[in-house]
Amino acid sequence: MKTFNRISSPEYLEKLRQEIKAKREPRKPSVSICVSTGCIALGARRVTKAFMDELEKQGLKDKVEIKETGCLGFCEQGPRVTIYPEEICYLKVKPEDVPEIVSKTILEKQVVERLLYKDHTTNRSMQKLEDIPFYKYQLRLLLENNAKIDPKNIEDYIALGGYSALAKVLFKMAPKQVIEEIKKANLRGRGGGGFPTALKWETTQNAPEEPKYVIVNCDAGDPGAFMDRSLMEGNPHSVLEGLIIGAYAIGAREGYVYVREEYPVAAETITLAIRQAEDYGLLGDNIMGSSLNLRVKVQRGAGAFVSGESSALMTSIEGKVGEPRPKYVHTAVKGIWNKPSCLNNVKTWACVPVIILRGADWFRNIGTKDSSGTMIFSLVGKVMNTGLVEVPMGITLRDLIFKVGGGIRHDKKFKAVQTGGPSGGFIPEQYLDTPVDFEELVKVGSMMGSGGMVVMDEDTCMVDSARYFVDFLLEESCGKCAPCREGLKELSRTLSDICEGKGKDEDIQSIMDICEVMKEASLCALGRTAVNPVFTSLKYFREEWEQHIKEKKCQAKVCKALINYYIDPQMCQACMLCLRECPAEAIQGSKGQVHWIDQEECIKCATCFELCNFHAVKKLSGEPVPPPPPKGMNPIRKPKRGN
Amino acid sequence: MDRKEGKRLKSHFVGLRVSEEQKSALSKLQKASGLGKTHLLLKGLEMLGEYYSLGLDQPHLSLALKELEVEALRHAEAIKQISQKGLAIKLIVQELRGIDAIVEKYKGDKSQLIHILLDVQKKNRWLPKLALMWVSEKLEIPLAQVYTIASFYKAFSLVPRGEHLIRLCMGTSCKVRGVPIILDRVQSLLGVKRGETTPDGMFTLESVNCLGCCALGPMMTVDGEYYGDLKPLDVKKILSRYK
Repeated sequence: MKTFNRISSPEYLEKLRQEIKAKREPRKPSVSICVSTGCIALGARRVTKAFMDELEKQGLKDKVEIKETGCLGFCEQGPRVTIYPEEICYLKVKPEDVPEIVSKTILEKQVVERLLYKDHTTNRSMQKLEDIPFYKYQLRLLLENNAKIDPKNIEDYIALGGYSALAKVLFKMAPKQVIEEIKKANLRGRGGGGFPTALKWETTQNAPEEPKYVIVNCDAGDPGAFMDRSLMEGNPHSVLEGLIIGAYAIGAREGYVYVREEYPVAAETITLAIRQAEDYGLLGDNIMGSSLNLRVKVQRGAGAFVSGESSALMTSIEGKVGEPRPKYVHTAVKGIWNKPSCLNNVKTWACVPVIILRGADWFRNIGTKDSSGTMIFSLVGKVMNTGLVEVPMGITLRDLIFKVGGGIRHDKKFKAVQTGGPSGGFIPEQYLDTPVDFEELVKVGSMMGSGGMVVMDEDTCMVDSARYFVDFLLEESCGKCAPCREGLKELSRTLSDICEGKGKDEDIQSIMDICEVMKEASLCALGRTAVNPVFTSLKYFREEWEQHIKEKKCQAKVCKALINYYIDPQMCQACMLCLRECPAEAIQGSKGQVHWIDQEECIKCATCFELCNFHAVKKLSGEPVPPPPPKGMNPIRKPKRGN
Repeated sequence: MDRKEGKRLKSHFVGLRVSEEQKSALSKLQKASGLGKTHLLLKGLEMLGEYYSLGLDQPHLSLALKELEVEALRHAEAIKQISQKGLAIKLIVQELRGIDAIVEKYKGDKSQLIHILLDVQKKNRWLPKLALMWVSEKLEIPLAQVYTIASFYKAFSLVPRGEHLIRLCMGTSCKVRGVPIILDRVQSLLGVKRGETTPDGMFTLESVNCLGCCALGPMMTVDGEYYGDLKPLDVKKILSRYK
């Protein structure tokens, strides 16, 4: 059995750090491959395997190190491979590219041009990550180390200064001082509400009952937000260190990490991290030789959105149904098994060691007056560069979407950005210069939420999107309180009617009434904020709603019942492709004869629309479908290129 | 069963009414039993298996065993090659022993119910009634409560799942990027709706709220294998790999 270096004092931690550093050869070539879920989905494991095989084949196995690291955020361009010490960053790497990388870059120190990031406006390729516009505007406090750390190896984290914040806290600060520091830094909950973290800690600390619990919430994943997963998969020890510091400040002896069921890799990583921390004496009894004892367990969720809510999450940890309960007494005072429990989001915990090490004043200087520090957003949807971005609070939406995100895909027009998941709202173009912080987003009817930021373009229907969120919440509502359960059901029914062209004039008013009641009377935040997507959609895009109801028209051409597919006879090349693939056999015509769609038969599956190489298939809404072309009409051939 | 036979079977053996000779035959098999309530039930079930293998039929069963016998028949039906009830029951015992091991792993901690069910499901792909009964028995949690958990959380399935599990991400990002069309495509290719299993038992189609790969949508997983940036025409190709 391997013997471990139990860290028994801060001095020993330093010594160990020096030892680890001494063992490492900074000039030794190393290949770092991202193996978080996103890159795995794109085949990162096969790339790792290819590297291993190739290095073996070329007899370089001992000369080059392979490191599997966490997420850098640019998921869309994955799998990402970085070659050290030159720090050359290759994107979209395939197993076939590996032999070339090994013989060219690792052996001959040459760059493989085609695998570099190429800026689509300047057409310049870039070697270093920091040069890429996606990264240029970011400030990566929490995500920075993801690329440098093998999350399965605690020594990597220690080598980069890990657990020194814990040493500082345990031996140089009293619990009260820790809370003071966090208060001074003005750290606010990164899970959505933005509740002052220090206040929460204080409440739990002051609660009379024992034992006290600390909990990491890795379930607040609104659909469209995945930063918690990335942080957990990429740098689990930063979260653990924050948690241990919190436990010291609060006086907790037990901790939980709640990971949602959809994140198997994250659960695996944190479980391993806890075991390693125990082996190194950083968890368990007498942590780092101090009198602090803390045990941490991993708890997997089982797929229920409402379980991200604090009281629901706690009942779920107790092994019960994850339903929220009224919070007349806050969970900070009566949480798991009615004992004081302090629950914070993954990112909030990960901020703690950073604040302790660099100081509250430094942290406060980042961001805005009331929202300090950075925030991680998952910038997704119809934006050019999708992925995780960490920026200082107070950046404007415009900068975020157009500078970091590189604008809208396919030169379409920006329509709205949705923040805060199903509890947030849509923000239209006129508010793009809103600085992003907790208060400002609430002012425009949305909220920060977990940091999801879904960009929508002109092809997104706002009524349909509102319906999507309502249907989502309808499915996820636990059904305990009537306003939420019945309100959502009614909203869903009315919205479906509108989307299906059965909307009535009075529908808008009745939706507003239901929203009003739900907002006031629901038991937990899920119901109270469920109205936000509907409200904001109605407020900013009312004319689109009215088109749906009065003209039976969907301008984004999304609502199935309100659109028709139509083949433009001027453009159809009679290639038979759509005709053969149509699952409903609704397309008429033959080889050499322009095709047309039998509207009676069409099931609107969009297969022909996706297939057509000549953009001849059009979507129509709110206008009559032109009659089919005369039988036997020949296609109007396009001139071949070069003629 | 006529009265005469009923008279003949006066001895009892862990819930079974048997004749003297049968009892002595069964007693030989009992040696390891007698350890607590659940063990005894398990042993009883094993006996039932032996009982059937000995060529005996129509026993008077205790209520708990009767419930298990129904399950045994279902099992025998499900795995067609097994024609003998005895073998089927032995298989069940094996399965229950597997659950025992899982419960053991969590040291019988009641608060770990969700984890235990997740692990049981991992083995079976779904949660059979028998498994839930057994978990309830072992953890001493009312069966109703076990069912509440199993039906509340989305990850659990109370009906058999197909050999391959397709999970389609319905997150906001995937939605904006066109997952509804992908869903239509998968549904029409498989001929089933969300939450259903194909008649041949090959595929189960489920939707999840977010797989956390928002930058790569539309996204789906088949047996945990990720497929991103889906186009409607990719679906057929991907599914054909699993046939």
